[in-house]
Amino acid sequence: MEFNDGYPSYETMAIHDEEHGKHIRKVIWKVFWIMLGVTLVELLVGFKAESWGLGKVFLQFFFIGLTIVKAAYIVLSFMHLGDEVKALKWTLLGPFIVLVLYLIFMVDVGEGNYAKARRYVMDKNVTDAPHHAPAGNNEGASEHH
Amino acid sequence: MSSHAATTQVKANWGGGGVSPLGASYGKLYMWFFLVSDAFTFSGLLTAYGFMRHKYTDFWPNPGHVFHHFPFYEGSIPLAYVGLMTFILIMSSVTMVLAVEAGHRNKKNEVAKWMLLTIIGGLMFVGSQAWEWYNFISGTAEGAVRNILVDGVWQDKLIHGANLQYNEYGLPVFGDFFFFITGFHGFHVFSGVVINFIIYVNVVKGTYEKRGHYEMVEKVGLYWHFVDLVWVFVFTFFYLL
Repeated sequence: MEFNDGYPSYETMAIHDEEHGKHIRKVIWKVFWIMLGVTLVELLVGFKAESWGLGKVFLQFFFIGLTIVKAAYIVLSFMHLGDEVKALKWTLLGPFIVLVLYLIFMVDVGEGNYAKARRYVMDKNVTDAPHHAPAGNNEGASEHH
Repeated sequence: MSSHAATTQVKANWGGGGVSPLGASYGKLYMWFFLVSDAFTFSGLLTAYGFMRHKYTDFWPNPGHVFHHFPFYEGSIPLAYVGLMTFILIMSSVTMVLAVEAGHRNKKNEVAKWMLLTIIGGLMFVGSQAWEWYNFISGTAEGAVRNILVDGVWQDKLIHGANLQYNEYGLPVFGDFFFFITGFHGFHVFSGVVINFIIYVNVVKGTYEKRGHYEMVEKVGLYWHFVDLVWVFVFTFFYLL
């Protein structure tokens, strides 16, 4: 398809020369080493969490934080979103800001307060582990033992 | 300076076709918007997983106890194999982005080489996942007694491993989420391998050399990095937390 509108075609937008390519490759490998390092740290902490006595909340923030670091490197560097125009960045990332806000509210207000307090009442059977009892047996189960 | 659209100006009026909006080609935009919707699908799956896990937090199987096998090794090393899988997928993402970079220099043979390595990395990952599933499904030799539904009657049975109905390691819902989410991701990886292979054949045939640019490689590259991106989240929520 030919568009004669004076807008640069894909080729002129994307082509780069040998020297520029060398620089880009250097950045790619740098990002690779960062991602590998982060993954190894995650594995080490995951492996040692119990013996180091790390708290659950700390681990949650630690792992989710490092995950977001890795995700940012993939999206901004490998997928080149960092090089796109600002409008495209906001168009693609904006919806996820809404999602994250929703999740924060759900964890804090919804599931966090209501279901956690109720879960023993609702699921007495689960506390009888290892047996997973039939669903019909939980009537009358009103308190956690 | 960026090799991409950052330096080009977007025309004020792009309605009515012709000029692609947002300084990126139409093909890339289509891929981006598909990936946004796909990311929401995975968000939904992982959110449901998170709620269930939060609800049954005291009875949730410890992933380190479930996934501790390593090929050709009899002992138990928690998380090592999934760490290796993560490495394979990150590595194949690197070879993919190197293929895209070579495409921007119109180097057919380099693109072909990196594409091929990406496909091999993808196949290795899918194979690793099959092995992980095999271990989870077959379970331990000792097994565990669980109250399960057999022919319409609940009864205590010695079971090994997990499927969609029961789970030796704990709550059945853990297995359900594991199979659905890693299965959905694994199918994405498999699709990516197939798509990459088609593009690889076109690269070798010289289709894109004739066209003068390797935009298709960049588009499948976006998809492939997305698969890696999803795995980063699956890895954290299933294996680390």
